[in-house]
Amino acid sequence: MLNRRDLSVSVLRTDPAQPYQDSNNVMKTAPRALSRFIDRRQAFVYPAPAVTALFLIVVIPIAYNLYLTFTKWTIGLGQPRFIGFDNFIELLSDERVLNGVKVMVYFSGLSLSLELALGLLIALYFNREFKGSEIVQAIYIFPFAATPVAVALIWRIMLNPEIGVLNYILQSVGLPSSLWVSSPKTVIPALVMVDVWKWTPMITLIVLAGLKSLPHDPYEAARIDGANALQIFWYITLPLIRPVLIAALMLRSLDNLKEFDMIYTITQGGPGISSETLYLYSYNVGFSFFKAGYGSALMVVVFLIVLVFNVVMNRLRLSAQDL
Amino acid sequence: MKRRMICVVLVALLCVGVISATALAGVDWKQLQGTEIRFLMNKHPFTTYIEPKVPEFERMTGIKVTIEAFPEDQYRNKRTIELNAGGKVDGYMIMPGQDDLHYWKAGWLQPMDAYIADPTLTEADWNIKDFFTSFTKASSVDGKQIGIVINAETSLLSYRKDLFKTFKVKAPETMKELEQVAKSFYGKEVDGKKMVGITLRGKGAAATSQWVDFLYSFGGSWTDAQGKSNLASPKTIAAFRFYGDLLRNYGPQGGTMLHWAESTSMFMEGKAAMIYDANVFKALYENPKESKVAGKVGYATIPAGPAGRVPHVSNWSLSIGKTSTPERQKAAWLFIQWATNRSNCLGALLAGVPAGRASAWNSKEYKSKDDHPDWTANTMKSFEIGQPQWNPPVLNVPEIRDITGQVIVDAIEGKDVTASAKKAAELMDKKMER
Repeated sequence: MLNRRDLSVSVLRTDPAQPYQDSNNVMKTAPRALSRFIDRRQAFVYPAPAVTALFLIVVIPIAYNLYLTFTKWTIGLGQPRFIGFDNFIELLSDERVLNGVKVMVYFSGLSLSLELALGLLIALYFNREFKGSEIVQAIYIFPFAATPVAVALIWRIMLNPEIGVLNYILQSVGLPSSLWVSSPKTVIPALVMVDVWKWTPMITLIVLAGLKSLPHDPYEAARIDGANALQIFWYITLPLIRPVLIAALMLRSLDNLKEFDMIYTITQGGPGISSETLYLYSYNVGFSFFKAGYGSALMVVVFLIVLVFNVVMNRLRLSAQDL
Repeated sequence: MKRRMICVVLVALLCVGVISATALAGVDWKQLQGTEIRFLMNKHPFTTYIEPKVPEFERMTGIKVTIEAFPEDQYRNKRTIELNAGGKVDGYMIMPGQDDLHYWKAGWLQPMDAYIADPTLTEADWNIKDFFTSFTKASSVDGKQIGIVINAETSLLSYRKDLFKTFKVKAPETMKELEQVAKSFYGKEVDGKKMVGITLRGKGAAATSQWVDFLYSFGGSWTDAQGKSNLASPKTIAAFRFYGDLLRNYGPQGGTMLHWAESTSMFMEGKAAMIYDANVFKALYENPKESKVAGKVGYATIPAGPAGRVPHVSNWSLSIGKTSTPERQKAAWLFIQWATNRSNCLGALLAGVPAGRASAWNSKEYKSKDDHPDWTANTMKSFEIGQPQWNPPVLNVPEIRDITGQVIVDAIEGKDVTASAKKAAELMDKKMER
């Protein structure tokens, strides 16, 4: 916004009563006024483009999503109709919501704990000097660097009980074959296996960076006092590395709780709904059934779960840092 | 001399006939010169066939046609979103069995009956009666023609005719025989591979499009006379149970994860004696580069159940957008008419896209090139007896298919089918939108 003084300046300069001023000056003064204006309001002007973009692509869609949660709307059939909290009431008695939460807890609980445990162990192993460690580490991060959907498609074929290579390997060493993702009993462990394979390297990388930055003095002191390797790990490494572990867990859980591409590519939530997480169910409601209102309500629930989990984890991380 | 006279008269008559016929038919193909129309298409073999020929239509009419084609999943979403936003869509491809009720209710489909009846807009030779009735019926809602078929599909029982000959087994004529044949092949070793009797789709919602043929052949239906869910009726339950038992007992392991890709690859690997799926997969089975069973496959219509043989027919059609302007709608009709004329239907069929026109199937050109007359004969038979309602007659088809798919999964897993069907029927009644 231009204020009055700026305006009066430019008006003065363009006054025809001052004939010596040519039109070039007018051209010059306007930018000058503008630059003065910008100088005075840097705090608002500079972030404005970013704030506008953010508003358009983040705030408006989220606000619209919140609005949709209170409506009933099948895309293509009329306009959104306000129904108050009905979507949330329906959600409470929807068996598939309960199933989705169960699958989510089972999948995320198992995969996150395995990834954390394995990631830590492997990081400890890599933290020693050994020949060719750089090459081993480079190869080790391959799964995490590969494109998720491409990798998932390959797993999907490998996990096929009839034509997949995994059963071929099992049988050729004399083990019984498995149904992998084709049985409701083994589908989650099989998906966890793929998730652990893909994401443990990420945890390892974070923890390894943490380990490298630990101080040496406590270790020397412990060794002088005669502590063994296990005691050193338990009483020194683990407490020191805890904030890093929790940070890694937070980063990973953000993706893991809303794991979509891998599960969608491999099972689409099947067999039946045995691997349908809440996130996958809300996708189906929104984009297969085109029920935008109910789908939005489900997304809000997913959002709340992720939010609560992360607030708790953040508290843990902060308290761990205080130690 | 006399003979010469007759010849002259005959030629003259013929000329008059031809001239008057053209004059009477009187479609002025240039009437909408300069109009620009936009069609949304699925990246389908028909699109691949017709796209290079579009300039021919543009030269003939002076109408500019823009075709935008997308892969199927993406296409369905884009089409719905664009029509909902009121974009400039003059025509589009649609699977009527999947989307017609929804699109009709939403007001996105322009009826074509007036254009078809108008001799200044439709050539007499185009003749809607030349299309199989099951498909013209499939592409209509409330008695209004809302689409013209461009790709006609049904399902067939495909079997290993080489093995059937070796083991002296006849192609099953009834559902009971189907089960016996499947049982007789299950566990047999052929070429060092353990065979399964039959492979079918079992993956929930994806399986309903094939299961529906068993539903009808067992005398079941989606809804009853009052329009309520009929999923828990004894005949429908019998269909669920038969399908589930067949796949669990004589099919591959992990039946609940079989989509068409998994199911057809089982058959093409030579690990299954039979497969029931879309007839168009012949192109996969008979491709020697990808299939180990090429040249060894026989084809039959669905075996007869208690209610006879009732396969489904499904199709892709071309429709006109209702939100377009009258002029562009007429231009879109000219385009659709041209794309589905005799020569294009025959051309598409020869290029491997099953046409909806009987004359194309009966033509000498097609018959002389046909390597699988049993496939052709059974496909045509299915077209004639086929039931066009292959999806639940509701607006929210995907959701109800999903509910039905749950019962199929439970049946394959050997759970209590009656209880599962009852639960699904209640849910269907609750969620059904009409």
